[in-house]
Order: sequence, then C-alpha cells, then structure tokens
Amino acid sequence: MNTTATVAFGGERGGEAALTWGQRHVWRALPRHGRGRYFLNCPWVAPVYGKRDLSEVLDALRRLIERHESLRTIFADTPSGPVQRVARRGELVVGLEDAGEDRPLERAQRIADEMSKVIFAPEDEWPLRCRVVLSAGRPAALAFAFSHLAVDHVALGLLGADWRRLLRGEELPPAGWHPMDQVELEATPRYLARSARSVQFWRSALERVPLDLFDHPPGQPEDPRYIEVTMESAALTAAARLLAQRWASSTSGVLLAACATALATLSGRAQAVMSLVHSNRRDPRTGAMIGTAMQDSLFVLDLRDGGLAATCRAAGRGALEAYKNTQYDPFAMWAMREEIGSRRGRKPDLDAFFNDRPGPGGWPELPVSTAAEVAQLAGKTRIQAGLSWPEIDIRVMFYLGTAHGVGQLSLIADTAYLPRGTVTSMLLGVETLLVRSLSEEPAALIR
Amino acid sequence: MSKEAEDLRSSLADMIADASDGEIAAELALAGNHSLNALGLTSLGLIRLIDAIEDAFGVDLDLGADLSSFDNIDAIAAQVATALATR
Repeated sequence: MNTTATVAFGGERGGEAALTWGQRHVWRALPRHGRGRYFLNCPWVAPVYGKRDLSEVLDALRRLIERHESLRTIFADTPSGPVQRVARRGELVVGLEDAGEDRPLERAQRIADEMSKVIFAPEDEWPLRCRVVLSAGRPAALAFAFSHLAVDHVALGLLGADWRRLLRGEELPPAGWHPMDQVELEATPRYLARSARSVQFWRSALERVPLDLFDHPPGQPEDPRYIEVTMESAALTAAARLLAQRWASSTSGVLLAACATALATLSGRAQAVMSLVHSNRRDPRTGAMIGTAMQDSLFVLDLRDGGLAATCRAAGRGALEAYKNTQYDPFAMWAMREEIGSRRGRKPDLDAFFNDRPGPGGWPELPVSTAAEVAQLAGKTRIQAGLSWPEIDIRVMFYLGTAHGVGQLSLIADTAYLPRGTVTSMLLGVETLLVRSLSEEPAALIR
Repeated sequence: MSKEAEDLRSSLADMIADASDGEIAAELALAGNHSLNALGLTSLGLIRLIDAIEDAFGVDLDLGADLSSFDNIDAIAAQVATALATR
C-alpha cells in the first residue's frame, strides 16, 4: 500500500537574497514555456546501494537537504524583483511506493518522469519532490523531480556523488558555496564588468543577425505542437569520434558544426545562429555548487567553403567566444534585447538551441577505425518518437546524449516550422554528413 | 626584454598555472617549449585564463580570428599588449 513519510530538516543558514544569474535565467524562461513549463523540470533517480532500511535512507535524504541550501529554497516575486528564500527548517513529505513486479530503478524512473510533468509552484513548494521505491520491504531507489531553479545537469551529478557518501553514513565537510554566495560574487565589479562585456558581444551580433530563424512561413502543426525525435546511431558515434581525432577537435565540436550546418542548410543560408546551453561553471566555487548556473551562449557560425573540416574549426572558435560571453545578468541582457527589438522592429529569433549533455562516461568509444566500417553501421541507426509538449519556447533544439552504449542525437522541434518528416531528415542528414566527411567533404547536406 | 614585458609574462604565467589548476606550472608556461594545448590546457582552462586576463587588465580579448593567439605565453602577451594599446 502506498503511504508517505515526513523528513524534517534543519540547516545551518537561512535567509533571503536576490536571484543568481542562473536562477534569473530560469525564472524568466519558465513563463515563456507557458503550459509546457514542466519541460524545464529535472527528473532524477538515486539508487539505494546495499541493504538499507527506510530510516537510514530518509536520514541520508535529510542530510542532503540540510547540506544544500538550494534544496530548501522557495522563490517569490516582490516589488523589487524576484527573490530566493532559504529556509533553515522545514519538512518534506516523501511518498513511499512498492515496486511490485517492476524493476525498482525502472519504476523509479517512470515515477520521476511522471512527477516532472507537474508544474512547480516556486513560491509555495519545495524545489524537489521525492518518492521512495521499495522492493521486498526495503528501499531500492528514490525518484525525484527537481525544479530547474534549484539544480541543473551538473548539480545532479554532484548530488549523485553526495548521495552515495551520505548513504554510507559518511560525514561530509560543509558545502562551501551556495546560491546566496553566488549572488554576492555576481555583484562584484569584476563580475559586473564580465556581464557588461557579454552584453556588448551579444549586442554587436544581434544588430546584424537575421530576425527569423527560418525563411519559410509556419504551417499546420501537429497536436501537441512540439515534438521530440531521437536517433541512436553507432555510425554517428564512431564518425564524430574519428573526425574529432582527425581535426584535433572534440566530439561536441564536430557535432555542433554538423548540427549548425543542418540548420543553416534547411533555410539555404550560409550562416547559423544558435543558442548554446552552457553549464557556466568556470569558477571552481561555482563548479561545486548545488544550484542552477547554466545560461545561454550566442553562437554565430558562417559555413565555410572548405567543407565540414573548415566549418568545424570555425565552430571551435565561435563556441569559445560564445562561452566566454555567457557570464551575464539575464535582466541586463533582456533589457538590451528589448532595445534591439524596438530598433529593428522585433527581436531576432534565437530559439534554436544546441544542448550537449554527455553521460557520466562521456561520448562512447566504439571499436571502429575506418570510413567503410562506419558506413556499415549506418544501417543500424534507430529513429524513435520521444516526448511531446503543447507549448514550449523552442523552435528547434539539438540535444546530445548517450544511450545503450551509443551516442544519441535528439531534435526537439516546433512542428509548425519543422514537420516530423523534416525533423527525421535533419537527424539522418547530420549522420550522413559526418559519415561522408570521413572520406570526402560534401558541399551540401539536405533540403 | 623590457621590465614591463617581463612582468607581463610573469603575471600571465601565474594566471596559466591558476587556470589549469596547477597542471601547468608557471615555469613551464614561461619556458614556452610546447603549446599550452599540448601542456594540457583544456577549453575550460582557456576560458578561465581569458577571464583572468580580462579581469586583471580590463580588456576585451578578441577570440574571433585565430586561436593560435592563445597557444603560448608570448602570443598571449602580444594579444594583451595590443588590447591594452587599443583600449
């Protein structure tokens, strides 16, 4: 029978502060995703290692929440702007659910996905929901849904490392850096100067980039309008790695160049304008913070005559420049974007994204070394439909990941502009471009 | 080499050591026998180095042209000198 338990926590520090730049980024993004704002929620599963009883598991969870201020923070809009309120004490109600005949981790993943489909109320709700999955009477896994205001992809990795140690009963040193500390850092002249430089970089680009992402008008969308299509491709995996070695680049750099080429080619353009989702944790203190630090980078790439190799070199430089200019106050950035919009008639559409989320082991390495071997793998590529949303603030997002030992490239798309067939063609086009580039440099990709 | 140029190289070598989390000792960076990439400076380390230079000298470095400008300490020193002159 399903029931609940209550975890009472009491941390070292509470207080109220402005939002960090990363939190501001998410705060502003949430309403823009409308009914689909749950898109930004973060499902996560924590295995229970070894044989633990429920009290041990709940105690580890208590210590995790006490340790990280971000996990006991609510957010409120005030006349002077949004604020974060860190609670010293509180209670989290945790669901308890028997896995039944299911594998506990799979059951936990399904629960996490389901919990993540419910929109968070940042003012009234802790930024995490949790359910313990039991098997044979013992806890086997914890399913979580986090608000993106509390964590990002990097933070989930850090929480995983903490979780293992807390579950073993280890005493951890205090977490040294929290979002409220980050707010103070971002108010220093050094960081404000970085923000001003980034805003200036974006301004100079936004004054000249095309206003529209696509040249074609919107058509009749699917219902739901926003879809995800995923490609699992051993050929893509191997080709990206071999090209990265050949061009002294990274697999991310090669795939970014190929995805940007696919995007530009769709509209017959020689330039791609994209937002890169950047983890933005270059300061070691921020690097260890449980919180959300990611922000968007502005990436402008001119396709090169020298084929994908030349485009890849240009993409490497462009990405570095984009990442350098990703430390900014989103409120200052949006004020500038509004100003540009007023001057140019409307704001340039920057809703094409590239999001690189390698798994814990990074991009897979396959025992393949020649172009012919890679070409043979292309027949094993799998394309499958993924999630869908009624409304999100994205026209197109390339999404890199790993699954089943191979690289995964997903495309989230607005079907008013990219029908499902076009989405599939783009994914396969990226694979084809990489595979062919191993033996030649194709001039064009797809239509 | 002028005292100013030597001081600049020395400051940059310290920044390289910091940006690489000590992976590249200041002496190694100063010797300039290998590119910083070959010495193990990652892309994250390079961005941290650029941050440190821009913070310290109040300049905005241009990455759009050629990344070889950041491949050894003398090339970086030349970039900084140019940025300071055109500030």
